[in-house]
Amino acid sequence: MALDDLNLTVNEGEIFGYLGPNGAGKTTTILLLMGLSVPTSGTARVLGYDIVHESREIRRNVGFLPDFAGYYEDLSAQKNLEYIGLLNDLSKNESEKRAIELLETVGLKEWKNVKVEKFSRGMKQRLGIAQALIKRPKLLILDEPTIGLDPAGTKEIRELILKLNKDQGLTIFLSSHLLNEIQMTCTHVGIINHGRLVICDALDNLTELLAESEGLSLELRIHNSTPGLLKEIEGIEGVSRVVQKEDKVYVNMKNDVTLEISKTIARHGAYVLLMRPKEYSLEEIFMKYYKEA
Amino acid sequence: MAGSSTVFRKELADHLGSRRYLILFAIIILLSSLSAYQGAQYLKNNHNAGFLSIFSGQMFGFSFIQLMVFFGPIIGLSLGFDAINKERTSGSLSTILSQPIFRDSVINGKFLAGAAALSIMTVSTIGIIVGLAIPLIGFGPTLDGILSIISLTLLTIMYLAFWLSLGLLFSVLAKKTSTSMLASVATWLTCVIVISVLAALIANAVVPITFTPRIGNATAPGGQNPQETSEYRALMEQRFLIQSSISKFSPTNLYSEAASAILGIVSSSSFIGIGRSTPFRNMTLSQGLAASWANITIIAIGLLVCFIASYMKFLRMEIRPGG
Repeated sequence: MALDDLNLTVNEGEIFGYLGPNGAGKTTTILLLMGLSVPTSGTARVLGYDIVHESREIRRNVGFLPDFAGYYEDLSAQKNLEYIGLLNDLSKNESEKRAIELLETVGLKEWKNVKVEKFSRGMKQRLGIAQALIKRPKLLILDEPTIGLDPAGTKEIRELILKLNKDQGLTIFLSSHLLNEIQMTCTHVGIINHGRLVICDALDNLTELLAESEGLSLELRIHNSTPGLLKEIEGIEGVSRVVQKEDKVYVNMKNDVTLEISKTIARHGAYVLLMRPKEYSLEEIFMKYYKEA
Repeated sequence: MAGSSTVFRKELADHLGSRRYLILFAIIILLSSLSAYQGAQYLKNNHNAGFLSIFSGQMFGFSFIQLMVFFGPIIGLSLGFDAINKERTSGSLSTILSQPIFRDSVINGKFLAGAAALSIMTVSTIGIIVGLAIPLIGFGPTLDGILSIISLTLLTIMYLAFWLSLGLLFSVLAKKTSTSMLASVATWLTCVIVISVLAALIANAVVPITFTPRIGNATAPGGQNPQETSEYRALMEQRFLIQSSISKFSPTNLYSEAASAILGIVSSSSFIGIGRSTPFRNMTLSQGLAASWANITIIAIGLLVCFIASYMKFLRMEIRPGG
């Protein structure tokens, strides 16, 4: 079974990041939502439409960029878009107009008459977003939109996504296995592993949640550090653990004893080069929940 | 239906502009012009043969029917063998299926576009043959002849559409276009060459003929033994029966038999019937249709079975991009 007991809600206006390792069930979920695959049991609604009985309405209102989306390589970018427009029951004129508009939106205006076979991966992804937008969707589902792109291409797609969300208020559902991408783009995150939703919340809440469960934490860099000093810090009341990684020292605290630690270091004749509360990156959240799953 | 007609128009435009189609078209036009010329030459010397003889073989080098027997499978299969799997591999299939169309619009539109492209090819080829032949021989077909030509055109379109649907089936069953192409080539070789050769081999093995009568030498003294000749004829008849039954496994032979009958000619596909009464017998169109009804039905059933099988398989297919 690819998906099991999966419950997920995405609200209007969110950029929802759907995160999971390869093979976790991200694409399967999306194919179900688009009505391209049928669930053995269970149900879901997209924009109020049932995924089994009203999938055509979903496809009429949801823009979708599939994983490894492809186009007609021997047709130009514009012709490809026009065809997609016609399949959405737009008139010939309307398709043409929308195609030109959208090529401008995604920055492919100068390439409109070039055959898609000449396009780079990044350009094809931008064409893919244009294709998804031609039906004036209320929701955009993007399956791994930046996979295989170089950093510049990734940045372009990210900015495009943020812009669409901000300017048009478009709800975006985005799947990825790239943590920092989700962290930079999304407002909400759902993590899936082995077909189960591990956690689903606003990104800020997740970071806080993790900090609470792990307690407070400090990141230090100390000049003239000695093993005795670390032992002494560990001995301070309220410190639960001291770990040294390369030139950095990480101190976990049950309550805030930052001042005590600072004093102890000064007493030993050592110097503090860096001292800051440690922020949890999504990677740690990710790894933590992966292990739990 | 809106989806189907959009897919149909796009696919038809793709076919008509594709190099593959144009090359096939050029070959067919070239060869059929040659066959029209040959047919006209033949008719000049055999005025009683009738206009329709320009389409049929045996009397001269290369006829329209032989052209279709040999190239028909290639034309049909090549328009169908990569229809679905090419789009599946390139990912354009998942792009169009995420649009608000029913999934069967894609396969219906593609099949109809292929069939339309084949119809255009058939009609223009037959048109060119007729158009070239009339001024060369100086007379045109009778009304009955025109009806026969129309029937031949329809039969040919159906025969080509059969190969198209078989190609479509290969393209749904095989994930890679190279696989479906090989399957198409193998099918073509089997139908055009292997079955005919096998039929001859089996007929030879089942009905061995150990002697050769001296035929056509009746005037020479003691040249012909009537008993020997009739025995020989019986054996040859038997052999012919076996061979033509086996040949019917190949749609190309079914087609050539039916096409010949429609043109009013009783012929065997590859066998030259020594001692058969007349290899050339005139039948009316209705007689011809009646004689070839079974063949026509089998081709139509084959067409339907292949299309329905591809349709069912396509509708159940999980469209996961990239394979």
